[in-house]
Amino acid sequence: MIEPFTVPFMGRALAELALLALICGPVSVFVFVRRLSFVSDALTHTVFPGVVIGFLAGGIEGIVVGALVAGVVTAVVLTLLTRGGALSDDASTAVVLTAMFSIGVALVSRRSSYTSDLTSFLFGRILTVTTRQLAETAVLAVVILGFLLIGARALIFRTFDPAGAAAAGYRIAWLDLWLNIIVALVVVAAVRAVGTILVVALLIVPAAAARMLTARLTGMAVLSTGLILLAGYGGLLASWTASVDYGVSLTSASAVVLLLVLAYLLLLPIGVLRQRRVRPVPARRGSPHELVG
Amino acid sequence: MGEAALRYAGVSVGYHGTPVLREVELTLAGGQRLALVGPNGAGKSTLIKSILGLVPVLAGTATVLGGTPAGARHRTGYVPQTDSLDADFPITAAQVVMMGRYRRIGWWRPTRAVDRRAVREALDRVGLADRGGSHFGILSGGQRQRVLLARAIVAEPGLLLLDEPFNGVDAVSQDAIVRVLRELSAAGTALVLSTHDLTVARELADLVCLLNGRQWALGPPAEALTGESLRRAYGGHAIDVGDGRTVLVEP
Repeated sequence: MIEPFTVPFMGRALAELALLALICGPVSVFVFVRRLSFVSDALTHTVFPGVVIGFLAGGIEGIVVGALVAGVVTAVVLTLLTRGGALSDDASTAVVLTAMFSIGVALVSRRSSYTSDLTSFLFGRILTVTTRQLAETAVLAVVILGFLLIGARALIFRTFDPAGAAAAGYRIAWLDLWLNIIVALVVVAAVRAVGTILVVALLIVPAAAARMLTARLTGMAVLSTGLILLAGYGGLLASWTASVDYGVSLTSASAVVLLLVLAYLLLLPIGVLRQRRVRPVPARRGSPHELVG
Repeated sequence: MGEAALRYAGVSVGYHGTPVLREVELTLAGGQRLALVGPNGAGKSTLIKSILGLVPVLAGTATVLGGTPAGARHRTGYVPQTDSLDADFPITAAQVVMMGRYRRIGWWRPTRAVDRRAVREALDRVGLADRGGSHFGILSGGQRQRVLLARAIVAEPGLLLLDEPFNGVDAVSQDAIVRVLRELSAAGTALVLSTHDLTVARELADLVCLLNGRQWALGPPAEALTGESLRRAYGGHAIDVGDGRTVLVEP
């Protein structure tokens, strides 16, 4: 069970996933409670053209810079678009998502190695993670966790009670930008290893699964991290076993994601049962009423 | 009594330059209880948001605790309507109350013993000492409202604003809230609460401000809530039933 990870590339892949688990666990909790699943999905798509441009300009090493610029720009644009209320969150997000993704595809299709490039951008290359990439992910992880730690309290307040947070003097738009940038940074950190599509799974599924087991935010963050670690280990092991012992090709990143989704499905009934047990039907007094004066 | 908790002189408030509420003229001293009364859409919530500096003052002068509305935010407490909150949010009652201390604690410093004690005391005060560890969402509407009141109390505000604090609230919770509000005003906190409920306004408020697009009456309940002023503010929805009584039927 441990032996495959003594092979250097497997060890690095596991280390990379462990780092991603550390950041995706807590961040996914915020994505969950803030209902930012769709925004996260959009961010992963809009980072895509940044990845392509970065790669065209600077090769593999250019990817992070390209992704970083695209991610931060998207975070700002999404915050501004949804703030004015001119567009609904969904519509404006969808517009940005599809526009940016198309630009990415148009750019990458100009290259002769179109298909293989596209695949690696979309699904990542977890098994070819280098020591340098590991170091970069570690730096990003420290930055992301730092940002999250500073903003956590205000972000929780804003998410639970936007009007109350504004009344307490918090700047809602800045907090929204803060969280959008954190999510963008996670996408940047994860993009080379798991690709722009699968990172969505790491940002959405763990917290949703953890919520089935606990109603505590810290508990959710710890469980989410644990789930990603387990799925990371299990997924890598499964893809190794499949290809070494059975000669079947099973992409590591998809194995990881499938295990996460499996965990979610297994926990789903527990969550439903818990909900039934703890949620009374709230008693309400009728509102259209008559008042005697 | 010193500075007024609230002074509105010829104030219009609204969104995007369009007034929702005009000609508001009121002064509230420390410890006084003001009820904002009016039909749905009268501008009660808008007036409360303007006191918080969240809706712009379009005309006139608004002074809150001696300063601008936005500048007074750290000394103003706000209790939102419970309905506006997500009951599924994974958070305990005590964590919600702790939010009232966030501005005092700062962005990332850990909570101190004094904060935790304030939270316990506030929960005790609203009669929920044993529910601190409960998930906010499993509490009844009235209990949630009391938790939000406790959150406002721990910030020790000079002026407390409550948006429809008795909507969907059971009798036990209503009694608890009324008791705490009386204690607060006795200790010098000025209160502004919006309500549909004329009985509540009569029993709880020193001053009633009757609103519907503009200020229709201001004064002690007996003076402000006359059949005549209610008919003016509520239009056709106030029906005189004789015996000097008026019935309001909201559309």
